[in-house]
Amino acid sequence: MRSLLGKTQSALACLLWAFSLVALLTGSYSQAQEQRPTESQVESAYLYNFGKFVTWPADHAAGVGLFEICVIGKDPFGDMLDATVNGETMNGKKIAIRRISSLPQAAECEVLFISQSEQGRLSTILDTAQRFDLLTVSNIKHFAEHGGIIGLVEQQDRIRFEVNRTAALRSHLILSSELLKVAVKVIEKGGPGS
Amino acid sequence: MPTQAKGSILTRLTIMNMLVSSVALLLACVSFFAYDQITFRQSLVRTLSAQAQIIASNSVSAIVFNDPQSASNTLAALSSSQNISSAGILMLDGRPFAQYSTEAGNPIVTLPDMPRGEVEVHQFRSTHLILVRQILSQGKPVGLVYLRADLKELDQRLRRYAFIAISVLLLSLLAAMLISSAFRKRVAQPIIQLAETAQEVSRKKDYSLRAAATGQDDELAVLVDSFNEMLKEIQNRDRDLQKAHNELEERVTERTRDLVSANRELEAFSYSVSHDLRGPLDALEGFSYLLLKQYGAGLDDQGRELIQQIRASGKRMAELIDDLLNLSRVTTSIMHKAKVDLSAIAREITAELCRSAPHRQVEFILPEDEDVYGDAHLLRIVMENLLRNAWKYTSHHQQARIEFGHQRGDGGNVYFLKDDGSGFDPRSAARLFQPFQRLHSSAEFPSNGIGLATVRRIIQRHGGEVWAEGDIEKGATFFFTLP
Repeated sequence: MRSLLGKTQSALACLLWAFSLVALLTGSYSQAQEQRPTESQVESAYLYNFGKFVTWPADHAAGVGLFEICVIGKDPFGDMLDATVNGETMNGKKIAIRRISSLPQAAECEVLFISQSEQGRLSTILDTAQRFDLLTVSNIKHFAEHGGIIGLVEQQDRIRFEVNRTAALRSHLILSSELLKVAVKVIEKGGPGS
Repeated sequence: MPTQAKGSILTRLTIMNMLVSSVALLLACVSFFAYDQITFRQSLVRTLSAQAQIIASNSVSAIVFNDPQSASNTLAALSSSQNISSAGILMLDGRPFAQYSTEAGNPIVTLPDMPRGEVEVHQFRSTHLILVRQILSQGKPVGLVYLRADLKELDQRLRRYAFIAISVLLLSLLAAMLISSAFRKRVAQPIIQLAETAQEVSRKKDYSLRAAATGQDDELAVLVDSFNEMLKEIQNRDRDLQKAHNELEERVTERTRDLVSANRELEAFSYSVSHDLRGPLDALEGFSYLLLKQYGAGLDDQGRELIQQIRASGKRMAELIDDLLNLSRVTTSIMHKAKVDLSAIAREITAELCRSAPHRQVEFILPEDEDVYGDAHLLRIVMENLLRNAWKYTSHHQQARIEFGHQRGDGGNVYFLKDDGSGFDPRSAARLFQPFQRLHSSAEFPSNGIGLATVRRIIQRHGGEVWAEGDIEKGATFFFTLP
């Protein structure tokens, strides 16, 4: 197995350099204990990767040359999120991280991460996000059950996610079957506002 | 032998047919198989590549959201592809993410290096084909998928083709054999018959035989026709030759008969002439003798002298008749060949010559033992003629030298008799041996011109040759050979 690793690594050395972080984050092997990514690292990567499996309405945030991942509330990632998406693109658009405090600022975002600090006004945020056709992601407990689109959950020591398809449809978002395939749970019921 | 020839030409035809069909078939099989191998490999790579692409695009989410189970499920769909023995998804750093294998346990797979700038690479190994493809997400690699396909099917195809090729080869060989046996009648049979006819002709020397026509219109028919034409020509020439031969023989017999009778007549004539001439001559001699004896006293010296001249002429004529009879005899007498010592004969004759004219100073050089094989009586005549000739033509010289001997020539011994007498004009050498030809006047050297003709007859009857060399007043040398 060592020789296999050596060979593959030598062949892909240049690529590995750019994507080592992604590889680290997605790795789940116990042998990599000392390199085991932190929860915020994994969540940062997820936040970036969700965009790959979601299709936004064609007129969404047209004219904005950026793919914006917005964080509302207290930012749990620190520098991690910026480091993850640094230099990355999504469907040809440069990825940008924006931390917002008020809802109107979220109009041109694609992904909206709702911090646990915003649990109190969750339904308001979700209503607005639905109007703006945003992909809402949060690690608030039962987030998907409550009408959020993707809820991050911890399961067997791993970060996984639940998907609320109905909420996504209501926001005019099309989720890829690939995404649904790896979701721990796909919810088909309406949240607030249904 | 006809049977051998039959076997060889038929075998060669059959072998040729089989060889041609086998080579053509093998070439066709090999090229077809090579083409099939190439296209099959290409299609295998294409199929594997398509499967790798599907797996790659279906496992992006599993990789980015760290869900090996989902990736395994994707790989499990490969169970419908029977030729894929194992497959796997690897992380970028080479750690296995998900695996699939039809065999127990996870086989260790060594992957080929991915060339820079490529997203897919494949490699044929002895028993399998390995294809590796990058899993891309937003154009960036996130992992690798590899598929390993068994080449058992390739082997099976190879075996199947080999089986088909061998079957078809055997069938075509059989067909070639059948076809060549069918062609035997058309091609080989006429050749065999022709060969048999040719052999029979040469064995029996019977040029009336003919090769059977093939009944076809091809080169063989031309060959058979030409052969028959040739036989006919030979037969015609044979007949003409025989006819000419017969005619010639007839003519020769006829001429020989004529010649023999003419010769016989001539001999009888010359013998009877010679014989009949002797009668009156004897009478002439007798009566002239009586005339001189009884009436000589009554005659004066001139009359007696005239009678003496008549007697001398008669004697000369008698000698001439004797020589003629001799010439006739040497021509017709039966030869009794034996060993003859020519030097002994020469000694006897020279002794006699010396006695007849003791006043002459002649040096004879004679060898010891000069043995030859021939008729003693005839060879004595030869030696006598030659020696008397030499004796005679040296008579005008005070001293003379006569040498007999032999020298080595082309065809054996050449005997010679050399004198230093009057010699002869070399321009007349050819006339020397003709009867009644004389190069000197009778007054100078009395001669009847028959001696050398007799010598030539005898030497020729012994199968030898005679010739002379000399010049006026420089002596003469007579050569003769005896085989």
